[in-house]
Amino acid sequence: MTGDPLFADGFDWVVLAILVAKAVIGFTIVVVGVIFMIWFERKVVADMQNRIGPNRAGRWGLGQTLADGIKLIFKEDLKPDRADKPVFRLAPYLSVVPAFLTFTIVPIGGVFTGGNDGGVELFGRRTWMQVADPPVGVLFLLAMSSIAVYGIMLAGWSSGSKYPLLGSVRATAQMVSYEAALGLSVVAVVLLSGSLSTHDIVAAQAGSIFDWNVIATAAVPFVVFCVAATAELNRPPFDLVEAEQELVGGFHTEYSSIRFGMFYLAEFMNTITMSAIIVTLFLGGPAGPVLFGPPLIWGTLWFTLKLLVFLFIFVWLRATLPRYRYDQLMDLGWKRLIPLSLGWLLVIGAISIGRDAGWNRPLTLVGAFSLGVISWAALIGAMRVAKLRRGGDEFGELSTATERVG
Amino acid sequence: MDQYLPLVVMFVLAVGFVVLSLLTSKLLAPDRPTQAKQAPYECGIVPTREPARRFPVRFYLVAMIFIVFDIEIIFLFPWAVVHRELGAFGLWAIVAFIVPFFLSFLWEIAEGGLDWGPLARSRSLGVLTGPERATAPSVRVVGLEGRLAARPEGRATVAVGASSGGDAGGVGH
Amino acid sequence: MVDTVVFLVAAVVILVGALGVIFSRNPVHSALMLVMTLFGVAVLFVAQGAHFLAAVQVIVYAGAIVVLFLFVIMLLGVDTAENLSSEPLAGQRPAAAVVAVASVGLLAVLAVRAVQVSTGAEATTLPLDSERSNIAVLAEVLFTDYLFAFEVTSVLLVIAVVGAVVMARRPRPAATDELEDDGSDGDDLGVERHTQTEAELA
Repeated sequence: MTGDPLFADGFDWVVLAILVAKAVIGFTIVVVGVIFMIWFERKVVADMQNRIGPNRAGRWGLGQTLADGIKLIFKEDLKPDRADKPVFRLAPYLSVVPAFLTFTIVPIGGVFTGGNDGGVELFGRRTWMQVADPPVGVLFLLAMSSIAVYGIMLAGWSSGSKYPLLGSVRATAQMVSYEAALGLSVVAVVLLSGSLSTHDIVAAQAGSIFDWNVIATAAVPFVVFCVAATAELNRPPFDLVEAEQELVGGFHTEYSSIRFGMFYLAEFMNTITMSAIIVTLFLGGPAGPVLFGPPLIWGTLWFTLKLLVFLFIFVWLRATLPRYRYDQLMDLGWKRLIPLSLGWLLVIGAISIGRDAGWNRPLTLVGAFSLGVISWAALIGAMRVAKLRRGGDEFGELSTATERVG
Repeated sequence: MDQYLPLVVMFVLAVGFVVLSLLTSKLLAPDRPTQAKQAPYECGIVPTREPARRFPVRFYLVAMIFIVFDIEIIFLFPWAVVHRELGAFGLWAIVAFIVPFFLSFLWEIAEGGLDWGPLARSRSLGVLTGPERATAPSVRVVGLEGRLAARPEGRATVAVGASSGGDAGGVGH
Repeated sequence: MVDTVVFLVAAVVILVGALGVIFSRNPVHSALMLVMTLFGVAVLFVAQGAHFLAAVQVIVYAGAIVVLFLFVIMLLGVDTAENLSSEPLAGQRPAAAVVAVASVGLLAVLAVRAVQVSTGAEATTLPLDSERSNIAVLAEVLFTDYLFAFEVTSVLLVIAVVGAVVMARRPRPAATDELEDDGSDGDDLGVERHTQTEAELA
């Protein structure tokens, strides 16, 4: 869309300039966004806990994040002597860079109503209001979230200390588990829009609110995605990664100074990006009615509003919910979310194909759902079997163990 | 290819951002390492034990099963894109793909392969770490008097109590 | 021109990564170098217009398989000094040498043939500027010509799941013999147990 960097038809400076400008704008949005996000989270959590929150640095404490950042820069950067130095240095990069890159596929504006495809005219070149639109769009999201795992895993391992190691092992298993659920719920979206590109996914939802994937997929993939995204972000109630009471600070315990700041920034950047991805995949992204004035503003406005809702929800969750226990977390991921999203995907697929092939609609529905119920019953049965095999009640085998040892 | 150049630009910007931050800090921050600062963080206690060297096989199992799921999901994407063109045939193909896989998943769950709760192994630990164990050595455990006597069933019961407390405390929070 | 630059950069990344895998002393560093190589290959896939394959390369290989490698390396503590003189598999080294020579030979043959055969034509099933996306074309082939292979993949995955569970599972009656099975004794026992519990709870 934005020209052809292979420059097959000759070198076009304007295209290159637009492209670089878009990347710089995207970069700025993420950096400025994260500064406000940290402030927003602290302020909202403070309100929910009946505190005032940051209120010294600047009006309403708006400068607090910057002040903290400057403080961190002036702090001594400690490197534990048991640390694996090269990997210890590499880990912050592996956390921050994917957070930036994921944001590139989010459409942040453009007019999608009234037959428009969301393109804007810039110096005679049409472009889309997103930094990049790779043909594999949502797969790029999955790829980046699998790279983000490395940042946490290596940070914990390279510290050469036990709490970070435990934190990062937990984190890796957790992120990897929920990535499967995340991927399966994304497939449901792709099923409806027939394309992997985020731009096409938004365009497919542009018609009315009933075209939004959250409604078109009957909410289940949306819920699964939101839960899995929260777990991917290691945010409460899934923040076992840095469970302070057990693991000091989790994987970044040994990090100090701005190196720690990088992990902190990455965490909040990921929150923003994940919210933006939820909005893009399920809530139509920038799609929305143009009420008055210049139509271009409305796309960005709708996008920002939807984004803010999710940012608030993430903060709200943090202030409200207690932390999950590890076995509960794994059970939720593997034994509920993954089978649920897999089954739901097949049901949606069957309905969609049935509509094309002219199958009897109620019969298809009943058939698909009864098969789903049977599978679910089999799943519950399997869990029962596992429980029985483990020795009935929770501490059934203990007395024999005592006898043997004692 | 035309949508990848912005990604490269963004990559450069992101790396530049981190490099610049770290560099500024390196220039401005003090650098006075001492033995204590470089020791692994243990809340002020001198570290005695090495970090755990071996982890439960469950973590490998999760990573292994994840690979399998990942491949499964990757195969679902092409189907999702063209499922309308493939029609019923594609649906049956994908169902035939998923059903054996789902059955093996069920088998794995029934086998307890994805159980993370307290296990026989960690439960038997209660015997080693509970008050039970501490009565034998010369160290006197304060507050144990009366608790043992109050339970005439003897050692096993105490161990049960202790180990359930230990499990809840360890895995929980 | 851009194609050449992309190829050169990716080739350097791949080669540096591949050499790093071999020459790193620390297995974790080797694994990371492997990730770098996989990335380079993904870039080459993109340059060839195989977008889906590039994404799969990163998601499956870098995102899942190397994570498993790292799990094994990091958590088994293989990074401590290994005695390289002992050979767990007899004849491992000669076999490796033979395989290496064979691979190099194969690559050489391929390289020569590629030069001979090369006519400058695009080696794709469809033109690159096709209206249909790369993934749609791939899906169509996968679900028609290669359907059988696709379904057999499912069986392979089943074998993987079953194999992983069977190997990870300890024989049931031995579950309570854990303490004696440990192989450690005396004072060591206490420490060993504690470290394992921490890991258990992680």
